Amino acid sequence: MPSGVIEIEGLRKTFHSVRQGRRVAVDGFDLLVEAGQVHGFLGPNGSGKTTTLRALLGLVRADQGRMSVLGAQAPDRLASVAGRVGAIVESPQFFGNFTAYRTLRLLALAGGVPVSRVDEVLDEVGLGDRGHERVKGYSLGMKQRLAVASALLKRPELLILDEPANGLDPAGIREMRDLMRGLAANGVTVLLSSHILAEIQLICDHVTIISRGRRVAHGRVDEVLAGFDRNECLVRADDLARAEELLLAAGFTVTGHGNHLVVGGVPDPVVVSQILGEQGVWVRELTPLRPDLESVFLELTGTMPDPGVPRQLDFPHQGEPTVIDLDVRGADA
Amino acid sequence: MNLIRAELERLAARRFVQLMVVLLVFAFAVTTATTLAGSHQPTAAELNQAQQQAVAERRELELRHAQCLAREQGAVPAEDFGYFPADCSSWDPAQRDRLPVASDYLVGVFTFTRQAEPLLYFLVAFLVLFGFLVGASYIGADLNSGGVVNLLLWRPRRMTVLATKLGTLLAVVAALSVLASLAYLVTFWAIAQIVGYPGPTDSAFWGALGAIWGRGLILVLLTTAVGFAIATMGRHTAAALGAVAAYLVVWELGGRIVLEIVEVARPDQLMLASYLGAWLVGEVSLWDDSACRTVVNGYCDGSYSITWPPALVVLLLLTAGLTAAAFALFRRRDLI
Repeated sequence: MPSGVIEIEGLRKTFHSVRQGRRVAVDGFDLLVEAGQVHGFLGPNGSGKTTTLRALLGLVRADQGRMSVLGAQAPDRLASVAGRVGAIVESPQFFGNFTAYRTLRLLALAGGVPVSRVDEVLDEVGLGDRGHERVKGYSLGMKQRLAVASALLKRPELLILDEPANGLDPAGIREMRDLMRGLAANGVTVLLSSHILAEIQLICDHVTIISRGRRVAHGRVDEVLAGFDRNECLVRADDLARAEELLLAAGFTVTGHGNHLVVGGVPDPVVVSQILGEQGVWVRELTPLRPDLESVFLELTGTMPDPGVPRQLDFPHQGEPTVIDLDVRGADA
Repeated sequence: MNLIRAELERLAARRFVQLMVVLLVFAFAVTTATTLAGSHQPTAAELNQAQQQAVAERRELELRHAQCLAREQGAVPAEDFGYFPADCSSWDPAQRDRLPVASDYLVGVFTFTRQAEPLLYFLVAFLVLFGFLVGASYIGADLNSGGVVNLLLWRPRRMTVLATKLGTLLAVVAALSVLASLAYLVTFWAIAQIVGYPGPTDSAFWGALGAIWGRGLILVLLTTAVGFAIATMGRHTAAALGAVAAYLVVWELGGRIVLEIVEVARPDQLMLASYLGAWLVGEVSLWDDSACRTVVNGYCDGSYSITWPPALVVLLLLTAGLTAAAFALFRRRDLI
């Protein structure tokens, strides 16, 4: 395995409790994040994302596996690189009676960061005017901004963010997106865990998907999506029955959906237009259907909602996930 | 050094710590005000009369002892003097802890030598409570609010972080205790000088007061560490409070009753309260009911005492054990 900013190999973590017994949270998980990437880390609730990040940051003890951060073995040598890693893990928690300024000042003091950096970073996350208010009066979104501020305080080379957009309003999400892009443009490597798949697709260049404690897909976002591209297109025509007949005769897979058809195995939509046009069937709409991260995620993790059936959380004992190996590091070179 | 500075600032900024300091100042102010209001400087006549009463009382004690010795030697019949003990040494004024002094007969006068000791015990009791609650809340609230996790993301050395927190806490509590007790004693010394009576102070008085002060400070630090350790193990301030309440109810109360029912010898020896008392006052005398159960006739002494050295050993072992367990647990614990 080549050296990465974050390397995880064969991570396994089992939780034991008297009431719930033994639960495998992460089961042989691998992750590679290379320098300069904005790497999305996706998985359904309970799939092991946060446990993985906590293990990487030394907050939970892994049962098995090898981890390194910026070349330092984690968690044993984590302290040697901690000054270069900014991280937030899951929901932000702060002491409610302290102000945001004091919260960050104490972290700055503990980490040997100049206290003058506190005001700068509060401004960066949009809390400049409210930094001297007590955190207990903050909304979830404001606490999230404070958490991001605490991660940015060190001017990190590596930023690990677990659900940074949690609780943010649409404007806040966009600001967070711009912030991530700005950081990435300045060479900061970002590992971003989120449920907002559209955001991941917009921000991240690479992605790793975890399901039931195991990696089910990883690689460049466009390559992962391409792996799920069935060359489908949506067709509306003046004579839908005739269109279906013609396209089936041409060897395409066709599925009727009431007022439109979904045609599969179409390398170029122009071919559909040509076949139908030559037979006097006029096309009203011809839209190529490209997979998005959400559909890929739902398919890979087996979490596609089934109407009327409550979905159970994605724990490892519930069966084997589909594994799609799309390691395209070679293509990056 | 940076971590120590951050922890000092964190501790000072905690509202609970500030509240406890305000309570300490308030208790100090109330005690000072009531002492000032209830005391006056004795006049020469009052002092003279008190001294005469003390001299008369001392003479009476010597006379009674002399009469006891005379009866013991058969010089005079016992009935001429009423009740006498079997052993006259218990009436020997030279063997008494203290002899009557003038301040014992001064009414409405704050006498430093007579009241410094109970005042110091009160202060120590407050500081013990302060240390325990602040120790438990300092780490309990930090663990509960996610502050420790945030800190560990910056300083991923669990043992260093926890040891720095405990060290900072103990240093702050020690400094505050020293300052508070010095201010306390100096204030009451000044009150005695201005509107009261200092009393006869000698090296023995200051030595005894200093010993209580020193033992009190050590007890404050031990309880602070115990509060910190239990809250660390229980991840919450309430864990420390609950553990103490449970210990008091289950063992000191329930356990004592059970031990008495099954007639275990010297049950007080198994109670932490006995060692706390012995350490603070230097020695506690206890009575063993079981010692004299088989004695039908004749004299039986079931008393025994616990002195401060074994009490210190018990308290140190308890504190060290709990602290070591807290560090060991924190080192391996999953912080989720």
